[in-house]
Amino acid sequence: MDTLVNEPTAERMDATGTPLNGAPAEFAAIYQEHSQAIYYLTLRFLGDPQKAEDAAHDVFLKAFRHFDQFRGQSAVRTWLYRIAINHCRNLQQTWQSRHIFSNADDAVWEGAVAKTESPLRVLETKELGQRIQKTLDALPEEYRLLLLLVADEELSYEEIGALTEQTADAIRGKLHRARKAFAAHFQKDP
Amino acid sequence: MKQQSKLTSEQQHDAVQHTSEPQGKTFGSPEELLRFDAAQTPVPGQLTERLNRSVASEPRSDASKTSWLRRLFGGS
Repeated sequence: MDTLVNEPTAERMDATGTPLNGAPAEFAAIYQEHSQAIYYLTLRFLGDPQKAEDAAHDVFLKAFRHFDQFRGQSAVRTWLYRIAINHCRNLQQTWQSRHIFSNADDAVWEGAVAKTESPLRVLETKELGQRIQKTLDALPEEYRLLLLLVADEELSYEEIGALTEQTADAIRGKLHRARKAFAAHFQKDP
Repeated sequence: MKQQSKLTSEQQHDAVQHTSEPQGKTFGSPEELLRFDAAQTPVPGQLTERLNRSVASEPRSDASKTSWLRRLFGGS
């Protein structure tokens, strides 16, 4: 109990083994558990490693500042994702560096060739990250975000729905279209 | 190069499969591909160091300490 009262610095490590020793133990544990997921979302959503690092830093700093206001209404990861998504969207609105696809463009993806139902085959994994990023960049933001969130197995459809302000059923329907869109673009540019 | 046989619709729903080519991988869905990609994407050490410095610079109020304890022990 004494250690909690005095809030000692914690010798917690992140996934790389780097200690997060400037934070209370509870927050350090949260960073250790969720930093990889949050960083990956910012990386693939923003498409730039430096911007992703900056965004992930800001997300966790914001979480640290407001953690006393977190009342456990959702899982910690969901709460962190909410901060990250809002932060990334704000950044994009500021930069205006992305192409914006209107809903009318959904027709393009709906008409994707049937062969996109086949599994995604990758022969070379060396530059896979670049290829994935290029594919995600080509998608409408809602598809990009949906696929990134669904890829996190710790999130339920209900939690994803809460993060994206839609029902779990809507998520399932949109996911089908997002998968087709991803596959169509991924396979088009090997 | 040995060709992979065409997959049935059943096999298309399987989890990750490996092709006969040593460097080839097959993913059943974009999410599986993203999980594979995520597993190979570590958090930059620089991020942790920056956050360390930022957190260490944050003011620590008494109210903040009290709320930590309240949350942990369920007191008022």
